[in-house]
Amino acid sequence: MRPERSLPALDRAALLLQLVPYLIGKGEVSVAEAAAEFDVPPAQMRAMVERLTVIGLPGERGFWQLPNELFDIDWDLLEREDVIAMTNTVGLERSPRLTAREAAALLAGLQLARTLPGVADNEFVAGLLAKLSRGAASAPPAVIVAPGPVDGVRDVVDRALRARVAVTFTYRAPGAGPTTRTVDPIKVHISTGQWYLQGWCHLRQAVRTFHLDRVSDPTLTDIPALHGADPVPELFAPTDDDVVARFRFPREVAPLLADYLERADIADDDEASVASLRLADEQSLKRLAARRGGEVELLEPEGARRAAADWAAAGLAQYTD
Amino acid sequence: MPATTSRNAPEERLVNLVVALMATDQGLTKETILSSVAGYREQHEAGASKDALEKMFERDKENLRGLGIPIETIGERADPDDLREARYRIPTAEYALPADITFSPAEIALLNIAGDVWGSESLSADARSGLRKIRALGIAVDEPIIGYAPRIRVRDSSFPAFQRAIEECRVATFTYLRPGEARPRERRIRPLALVEYEARWHVFGFDLTMDADRTFLLSRVIGEVSLTREKFAPDLRQGAGERALAGLREVADRQRALLEVHPGTEAALRLARRALPAPQGVVVPYVDLHVFADELASYGPEVRVVDPPALRAEVVRRLEATLALHGGAA
Repeated sequence: MRPERSLPALDRAALLLQLVPYLIGKGEVSVAEAAAEFDVPPAQMRAMVERLTVIGLPGERGFWQLPNELFDIDWDLLEREDVIAMTNTVGLERSPRLTAREAAALLAGLQLARTLPGVADNEFVAGLLAKLSRGAASAPPAVIVAPGPVDGVRDVVDRALRARVAVTFTYRAPGAGPTTRTVDPIKVHISTGQWYLQGWCHLRQAVRTFHLDRVSDPTLTDIPALHGADPVPELFAPTDDDVVARFRFPREVAPLLADYLERADIADDDEASVASLRLADEQSLKRLAARRGGEVELLEPEGARRAAADWAAAGLAQYTD
Repeated sequence: MPATTSRNAPEERLVNLVVALMATDQGLTKETILSSVAGYREQHEAGASKDALEKMFERDKENLRGLGIPIETIGERADPDDLREARYRIPTAEYALPADITFSPAEIALLNIAGDVWGSESLSADARSGLRKIRALGIAVDEPIIGYAPRIRVRDSSFPAFQRAIEECRVATFTYLRPGEARPRERRIRPLALVEYEARWHVFGFDLTMDADRTFLLSRVIGEVSLTREKFAPDLRQGAGERALAGLREVADRQRALLEVHPGTEAALRLARRALPAPQGVVVPYVDLHVFADELASYGPEVRVVDPPALRAEVVRRLEATLALHGGAA
């Protein structure tokens, strides 16, 4: 659930229009469950339901509405058991069409979801895309997500996930030699085109995250994945790494550094910003410095500065022919 | 009872209006609405000015239309342009999700994943709201698809503005900095589609200055995007997404770099899925010279650009600048 926020009246009206068909479909539903479905705190859900009961058909000239011309709920049930049940409706029984924007958000999401191995064939997805477009109030803006290249590693990991067995592969961690890992797969994360496997590593006896580009020669085992439902941390959870690094960059470059800045403290000086963040390894920032060629200056630690200079020099040495 | 319940909250008035306009077949006149629909009626009876109430009704009507609610205006038969006696209604068939659209449990399971991909607040709220409407159709839920958490991130602040411009078919202007050009330039386009390609967002549209289709990287848009009053025909959007994607693929097909990559390195891992074998080294297609040069420079000594010379020069320039900035002798 999201933190409490105050919605504009129009958004609250949109929620009420969705609430009626939802409550009718449910018959009886607890305040807590309805609140979770609508991403609002339970107190707000109660208030929404109470508000609904003063809404209804227009009164005849000169008269206020009769009770059967208003939405109504079972008040006893709400008071005693915190359960919502509608007892009278005066319209709005069917879900409104999707707005163009809602349809666009789902359509784009589907394009990413369809790249998951074995989830759906093209015909299935095409049918679903057509239904969504038809269910929209107006043509949704085209928001397209291009599928990335597929590969065998993803398929093997997928088969292991489904069969709930461990998978064995060769892993090349940054700056380390290859190791052979046996992993109970728990979750595959896909973020900015990169695939990551979170799983319980038999070698480390703990949950670890593996970048699938660093995985090779995967094979299915027949070892049951006993840790396959273990809780996993956020993909890029803050770490307690001990190297504190600082780098300086022009403010307009900030969007290009978002991956780093998300977990950094940022201070602004006159023309530039300085980010401080914790890293596992002082060597890792040299790649960022070279990528942004002259825009990002590593300030600390000294080892990172030196590494960036050496990295660039070694790269340049290849071209002095 | 919570203090938030007050008799005249604006959302009550809006929902009352929707209920009233859906309950009528022949439509209600403005006069009837203002004197009978709760929310207007109290103010009407309290003596609010007709002008103020009419303005409120106009605003409510536009706001509800913005939610996709089809409010029809039925003009006088004798003079359809005379809106004084116009009647308003909401045809149920156009308001509600069509009755013949149903979703199977497997489809709902996939939609649940699709609705969960957005990292950004506003798109994620849109997706979840759409999903709620579908789920309210009351379909038994399939086994959820477990084990996957796909995410799409939108970090470009210009994304929502372009999305709105596309939705409303409005010409947009913005400042765009092409690498290699000394100063940013104003662009005026009919935005037609937003495309994520290789994890970067692009807007595809018709550039009114260049008089041709163009694709822009959102990360190079500087400052705010302005939506002008100038509109374009919605049918220009037809098939734009596919055209944009085909265009990007065609560019990638045409632009190929010949690289020497040191085996076993980070560069080898990262490039492997995109690389095509070549007699010497590997060939990697790319869409944007500068974006690719950024990536290749990050690999430092792990990769050497053989061809094309322009790419090689850009990589060398980045490495030289990095070396100079970090106190090395260039």
